[in-house]
Amino acid sequence: MNSKIPEIKLSEEQTGKWGMVIDQDICTGCQACVAACAMENNLSFVGEVDAGYGRSMHWIRIERFWEGEYPEVKMTPGQPMMCQQCGSAPCEPVCPAFATVHSQAEQLNLQVYNRCVGTRYCANNCPYQVRSFNWRDYVRPEPLPNQLNPDVTVRRMGVMEKCTFCIQRIHKAEDKAKSEGRELTDGEFTTACAQACPANAITFGRIDQPESLVSQLIRKHGHGVKHLEELGTLPSVTYFKGG
Amino acid sequence: MFKRLFDWLRQPLGLIAVGIVLLTVFSLAAYGIFLTQQSSAQPIQFPHRTHVGFGIQCLYCHPGAARGPSAGIPSQAKCWGCHQQIAKTQTSALLAPLKQAVESGTPIQWVPVAMVPDFVQFNHRAHVAAGQNCEDCHGDMTLVTIAENPQVFNMGWCLDCHRKAAGEDEAKLLKLADCGTCHY
Ligand code: HEC
Ligand code: HEC
Ligand code: HEC
Ligand code: HEC
Ligand code: HEC
Repeated sequence: MNSKIPEIKLSEEQTGKWGMVIDQDICTGCQACVAACAMENNLSFVGEVDAGYGRSMHWIRIERFWEGEYPEVKMTPGQPMMCQQCGSAPCEPVCPAFATVHSQAEQLNLQVYNRCVGTRYCANNCPYQVRSFNWRDYVRPEPLPNQLNPDVTVRRMGVMEKCTFCIQRIHKAEDKAKSEGRELTDGEFTTACAQACPANAITFGRIDQPESLVSQLIRKHGHGVKHLEELGTLPSVTYFKGG
Repeated sequence: MFKRLFDWLRQPLGLIAVGIVLLTVFSLAAYGIFLTQQSSAQPIQFPHRTHVGFGIQCLYCHPGAARGPSAGIPSQAKCWGCHQQIAKTQTSALLAPLKQAVESGTPIQWVPVAMVPDFVQFNHRAHVAAGQNCEDCHGDMTLVTIAENPQVFNMGWCLDCHRKAAGEDEAKLLKLADCGTCHY
C-alpha cells in the first residue's frame, strides 16, 4: 500500500494545467460573466448595507481604470479579474488551517470551505484581491433557493471563498469522458463566465496541451500579459490588450 | 452545611432518593441511546429483504448509481408496475400508502438515510464503474427491512479505501486523495 503523499514541487517547475485567456479588446464590460458566475456558484447577494462596507461578494469582477493626465484621460478596456489560480499562490502558505491548498491533481488553488475557520489571512495576502468573505449567513428569499446549483456547496458565515475555475464542471466533464471511455477533448466544456460572454472574450482550456485553443491563442497573440507576474505568483490567466 | 446533607443522604430514605435519581438518569440515557439506534420512520415500511430476495437487481430500482452521482429512489410508477398485478396490494395494510400515492398522484416522501454532508461531492458512477459493489458501502440489503446506514460515511472511511484502490499508482493516489476531488 502506498501511503506517502508526494512532495510538493517547487513553484518554478510548475506549469499549470487549466488556464484562461482573456481578450480585453473585445470585452465590452457588460458584466454577463459576473452574473453567470454568481448563478453557477451559488454566490450570496449581500444587500446594499454590506456592499457599502465593501463586503460584496464576487468571484469575478470587471476592472476599469483611468489612464493619462486630465484632460487627456481615457478609460482602459474592461478587465475581468478573477482568481488567477497561481502556480505559486501567496494565499496558500499563510492559511493557518490548511484550508486553501494546492490541488496536485488539477493544479488549482482550492478553498476547502469546511476546513476554513475564517482568519482571512489569505484574502489579505492575495495581490489580486479576488477573495470574498461571508460576513453573514445571507438569506435567499423564496423562490431563490430553487436556483442553487446542487454541485456546489452553499457556503456559510465565516468562510472564505473564491473562483474555482468551475471545478464542478471540470469534474463533471471528466466523469462523462471517463464513462464513455475516452479522453476529455478541448472545448468540450467551459467555465460559466466563458460560456456567458457574448463577445467570446474569455477562453478556457488546458494550457499544458500545445494544441488546445488557449495555447494556440497565446502563441498567436504573442504579447499576452500575466498580471503581477513579477511577484513570482505564476498566474494561469493571460490577458491581451491593444492587439 | 455539607455534613448535614451528607448525613441525611446516609439514612435509608436518603439512599432510596439517591437510588431513584441514579435510576432516572440511567434510564433516560438508555432511552436516548435506544432512539439513536432506531431506523427512520418511512412513509412505507418498504422491505428490501423481500424484494432483493426475489432477485430484483439494485440497479432496477436505483438506476442512477450506474449513470451519475446519485442513485435515486424509485417513483411509485415503478412499484406499481409490479404491485398492480399482485393480489396482496389490495389487502395489505403495509401497501395502503402506496395505493393511495398512486391514486392521488402525490410522490412518496421517503426519509433519506444514506447521505453525506452538503460540502462533500460523492459520485456513484465512478465507484460502480470501478467495480465497487453496493454491499461494500451499504451493507447487505438482503438482511434489512427498512434501509439503514451500516457505517458512518466519514472522511477516513473514504480515504482508506481510496488509498487501497490507488495501490502503487501515484497519479491515481494524487487524484483520489486530493481535497478538490470531494470538497468544492
Ligand atoms: C424494488 C425496488 C428496490 C430494490 C430492488 C432495491 N431498492 Fe433500495 N430502496 C428502494 C426504496 C423504495 C428505498 C427508499 C425507502 C427506504 O429508504 O427504506 C430504498 C432505499 C435504499 C437505500 C437508502 C437510501 C436513502 O438514503 O434513503 C439504500 C442505501 C438502498 N436502497 C440500497 C439498495 C441496494 C444496495 C439494493 C440491492 C441489493 C437495493 N437498494 C435494491 C427500492 C429498492
Ligand atoms: C419486481 C416487482 C416488484 C417491484 C418493482 C416492487 N415490488 Fe413490492 N413486492 C413484490 C412482491 C412479489 C411482494 C410480495 C407479495 C407477497 O408477499 O405476496 C412485494 C411486497 C411488498 C411489500 C410488503 C407487503 C406485505 O404486506 O408484506 C411492500 C410494503 C412493498 N412490496 C412495497 C413496494 C414498494 C414501495 C415498491 C416501489 C419502490 C415496490 N414494492 C416495488 C414485488 C415488487
Ligand atoms: C463507495 C461506496 C458506495 C458504493 C459502492 C455505493 N454507494 Fe450508494 N451511497 C454512498 C454514499 C456515500 C451515499 C450518500 C451520497 C450523498 O449523500 O450524496 C450513497 C447514497 C445512496 C442512495 C441514496 C441517495 C441517492 O444517491 O439517491 C442510494 C439509493 C444508494 N446509495 C444506492 C446504491 C446502490 C444501488 C449501489 C450499487 C449499485 C450503491 N449505492 C453503491 C456510497 C456508496
Ligand atoms: C470501497 C472503496 C471506496 C470507498 C469507501 C469510497 N471510494 Fe471513492 N472511489 C473508489 C474507487 C475504486 C474509485 C475509482 C478510481 C478510478 O477512477 O479508477 C473512486 C473514485 C471516487 C471519485 C471520482 C474520482 C474521479 O476520478 O473523478 C470520487 C469523487 C470519490 N471516489 C468520492 C468518494 C467519497 C466522497 C467517498 C466517501 C463518502 C468515497 N469516495 C468512498 C473507492 C472508494
Ligand atoms: C474521498 C473524499 C474526500 C477527500 C479527498 C477529502 N475529504 Fe474531507 N471529508 C470527506 C467526507 C465524506 C467528509 C464528511 C465527514 C462526516 O460527515 O463526518 C469530510 C469532512 C471533512 C472535514 C470536516 C468538516 C466538518 O465540519 O465535519 C474537513 C475539515 C475536511 N473534510 C477537510 C478536507 C481536506 C483539507 C482535504 C484535503 C487534504 C479533504 N477533506 C479531502 C471526504 C473527503
